[in-house]
Amino acid sequence: MTDRRRNFFILVLVGVLLAGSIGVVATKKTRQGLDLKGGVELVYQAKPTKFSQVTGDAIQRTLDIMRDRVDQLGVAEPELQRSGSDQIVVQLPDVKNQARAIAQVGTTAQMFFYDWEPNVLGEGCKPNPTDPATTGGASAGNAGSATLSYYAAVTRAAKCPAKPHQQTSQDAPVYYLVDDKAQRVLRGPEATEADLFSESATKSPAKGQAVRVVQPGVVVVEAEYDKNKPKDLNTAQFYVLNDNFALRGTDITDPQQNFDNGTGGSGNPIVQFNFTDKGRKTWQDVTRKIVQRGQSQQLPGQDPRSAFQHFAVVLDNALISVPYIDFQQNPDGIDGRNGSQIEGGFTITSAQNLANLLKSGALPIKLELISASQVSATLGQEALHQGLKAGIVGFAVVCLFLLFFYRVLGLIAVGALLVYGIYFFALIKLIPITLTLPGIAGLILTIGVAADANIVIFERVKEEIRAGRSVSAGIAQGYKKGIAAIIDANVVTFMTAFILFILATAGVKGFAFTLGIGTLASLFTAVLATQAVLGTMGRSRMISHPTALGAGEKKRSWTFDFMGSSRWFFSLSGLILLVGALAIGGKGLNFGIDFKSGTRVRVALTKPADEAGIRGVMSAGGHADAKIQRINNDKSLGANAFQISTPTLKPDQVSKITQALTSRYGLARPPDTTSIGPTFGNTVAKSAVLAIIASLLVISAYIALRFEWKYAVPVLIALMHDILITAGVYSLTGREVTTSTVAALLTILGYSLYDTIIVFDRVRENVPRMPRAAFTQIVNRSMSEVLTRSIATSFCTLLPVAALLVFGGETLRDFAFALLIGVLSGAYSSIFIASPVLTHWKEREHVFMVRRRRIAEQSNGVVPAYATAAGGAATEVTPKQARRAARRITEPELPGQQVSASEFQELVRDLHGDAPVAVADPEDSARDLTPDEVVMADDRPKRQKSKRPRNKRHGRSR
Amino acid sequence: MGGFAWAMMGLAIWHFAIFIPDRFWGGIVGAFVGAVIGAFVAGALINGFTIPGESDTHLATALEAIPGAIIGIALMYAEGVRRGNEPLHL
Repeated sequence: MTDRRRNFFILVLVGVLLAGSIGVVATKKTRQGLDLKGGVELVYQAKPTKFSQVTGDAIQRTLDIMRDRVDQLGVAEPELQRSGSDQIVVQLPDVKNQARAIAQVGTTAQMFFYDWEPNVLGEGCKPNPTDPATTGGASAGNAGSATLSYYAAVTRAAKCPAKPHQQTSQDAPVYYLVDDKAQRVLRGPEATEADLFSESATKSPAKGQAVRVVQPGVVVVEAEYDKNKPKDLNTAQFYVLNDNFALRGTDITDPQQNFDNGTGGSGNPIVQFNFTDKGRKTWQDVTRKIVQRGQSQQLPGQDPRSAFQHFAVVLDNALISVPYIDFQQNPDGIDGRNGSQIEGGFTITSAQNLANLLKSGALPIKLELISASQVSATLGQEALHQGLKAGIVGFAVVCLFLLFFYRVLGLIAVGALLVYGIYFFALIKLIPITLTLPGIAGLILTIGVAADANIVIFERVKEEIRAGRSVSAGIAQGYKKGIAAIIDANVVTFMTAFILFILATAGVKGFAFTLGIGTLASLFTAVLATQAVLGTMGRSRMISHPTALGAGEKKRSWTFDFMGSSRWFFSLSGLILLVGALAIGGKGLNFGIDFKSGTRVRVALTKPADEAGIRGVMSAGGHADAKIQRINNDKSLGANAFQISTPTLKPDQVSKITQALTSRYGLARPPDTTSIGPTFGNTVAKSAVLAIIASLLVISAYIALRFEWKYAVPVLIALMHDILITAGVYSLTGREVTTSTVAALLTILGYSLYDTIIVFDRVRENVPRMPRAAFTQIVNRSMSEVLTRSIATSFCTLLPVAALLVFGGETLRDFAFALLIGVLSGAYSSIFIASPVLTHWKEREHVFMVRRRRIAEQSNGVVPAYATAAGGAATEVTPKQARRAARRITEPELPGQQVSASEFQELVRDLHGDAPVAVADPEDSARDLTPDEVVMADDRPKRQKSKRPRNKRHGRSR
Repeated sequence: MGGFAWAMMGLAIWHFAIFIPDRFWGGIVGAFVGAVIGAFVAGALINGFTIPGESDTHLATALEAIPGAIIGIALMYAEGVRRGNEPLHL
């Protein structure tokens, strides 16, 4: 296919895709993340139960049940997904009542029915069915003289022997951590002793604490409580039961909320249900047994109600209801064919919730809430507005830069950027990608990445034109030579994004996904599309003159001795790192709650308030250790905005705080709350470390494959340098390290390589071109050639990053700050760290040591910064390339293969014999390599051409 | 966090190794390995083979890595000299 036809096809493809993209953008809705439209996000960790282990299948069944429950909440567009091997993320847009969502979605809902009196354990773990002081008598199940504190109940249960040979709800021991001095239960029940300490720094009980083990066959259940009041386990009352259940939740069907409107009914909300066939029979048998026991205990002349016996309904180790059975009305037990009902002081909502829980069924595994956050819709929309503003400003400044620097080429690049923007937006809607704030940051960053690809090629085109090629030949050659560096750099960025997507937490996944998709899309628009446009315009008057492309006379030529001065740059880096190390030691890093766990509430108050006033409210609620900060830099929150940080609180505790603040100061808008448990914090930290290590390994492997392994080590050192400098700056400034910071750090890993690859690519290209030069001279030459390009790409990336920093909201600022430091450090380390390290290392290779020695001998013991021949001319040759044999002597030059002015001058020098001649013994291993030896020789055996003349008649002769 | 501070200090000290004529075993990368490992080992030795956590890290924690980094670089240099590495002045 000819170039002209190829360009035509690409332009048609671009046009068709553009039209399709515009259609998608106009018709499809953008799916916004919770941080943009507001709602609740819950993260659960799965734990095994007696009936199921945490397997992929169990998690899938759990997700299905949770979806049913979410549907019953009436939430539009909920997202439930598995995260890692044992976590579930639930996103509920527009939900304002976090506590209800938690109660409804993540409750395990393991329900059991017990015959009450024979199973309540008293002193010495002995049941005493006739003793009201043990069973509670007429007020069975309620708090009273028969109940125990949580601590006392656990202590009593721990003394009971195991009774595994019965129908138990647990078949393994459960563990509690108690404080004997304060007589409080600190943690439990947990499946293992280690789980008790999963949220603490120590792995064993502290002084005064002890571990209590409750054996299978015994269970501690909470007494009935007022469901309209918040639950506090250490003030609640408990019973110890012999764990020998009669029925399970799976034995009932069709649960629904109703009202007790029957004869003599109270009219209160109740939950009605039917039984399965097996359940019906068991129900009849159990109630008959209960009735018979009641009848046997009735004394003549005594009120029969005092002999009524009970059964208990236990949901997730809490008594829901302990009704009695009237043996006068049901002398043969209760017939299960008509179903049954639970009365338990329900409100309509709590009865509906229980019915819904029973309807969707118990979760096969236990879920522990490890993170809960709530974003108000107003704040989300403001964050979206800020993100879009930052994106538009970033796009505009990049366009201005391209136009100013590259003129007509810049115009084409701006067109490509616009097309890229439309493609990308269409992809976001089409896939669809849930657009989050970090995703917007990724989008804005890819604007810089897309522009960088153009800069790399345009600089190369300018270089070729300045070297004496025609405009069309310069364009062809520029694309041909620039593409390898761009692909290398983009592959590395894409790989980093991929690793981030696989390993990072949900919030950062959006960033990684948009960065990855954007990188791929930008390759198409920035390379293929612009090449097709320029190829089509190649001979037009618009770009016929080099100045139209910004490739007029070169105003500045870098002649700086980069390698000679590298020790001073090393010293500068060393000093920065030294200060950073001292800061890390002295101040440490300010890890956010993402890593350290805790609760953060951000409130915008209507009445003026100060820190002392807020502290007073917090202290009254029992949170005197809360950290209170005024938020000054967020206009969207107003003048009376505060951030309150505490150790991890439960959702109802957070509700209490917001209620107290509302009554004292009034809330201008619903608060933003985030609660992160230590388990989630550990997961985040582990995944961050894993992602960094995986990125470094993959990047090293790629560089080693594409270049050589000696190029990979300086890259790693430079990356380490960038990460540590960024960490040092974070420590010095005291900025909070969040998951966004880690995502930005990983992006830096990918992006920092962009510059390094550009420099190394040129070094790789110049090594065979300069077969007699020292490695320092090759690197100096390479640096002088690509420095402008490196500065331009870094500057171009910094423009949208700066826009994020200035116009983005708080989350985007987090990204932008880390990116700003990283991009600056990355550009610096590529030139002044990675290249000198490579130079030092390569100069120790035998061939370069010999060259160096020889050059020093010829130049009075000094190796010049730049390679010169005896006459002062540049010592470079054109590497041998496989060229297509010309079919005729007068054939026109192929685009990209014409001889440039500098190459022509070189040929002239060669003909005049001015070039230095090196005569070396071919057997001497220390001799210089010849140009033919340093390029990949085409050793393939040449195909023997047929000696028979071609038959011009194109037919079989007879 | 202590390990982080040691690694950072080791890297910082290594940057100044460029002023020494390169006779390191493994060249400048050998010096890097020596500095970082030396910093880490010395830090761990001083702290009884434990790595100070976030709350146990102080200014002195970072300083503890300096002798180790210098010793690490010196060892790589001595090994380079023993192996007959010629000095490299860039």
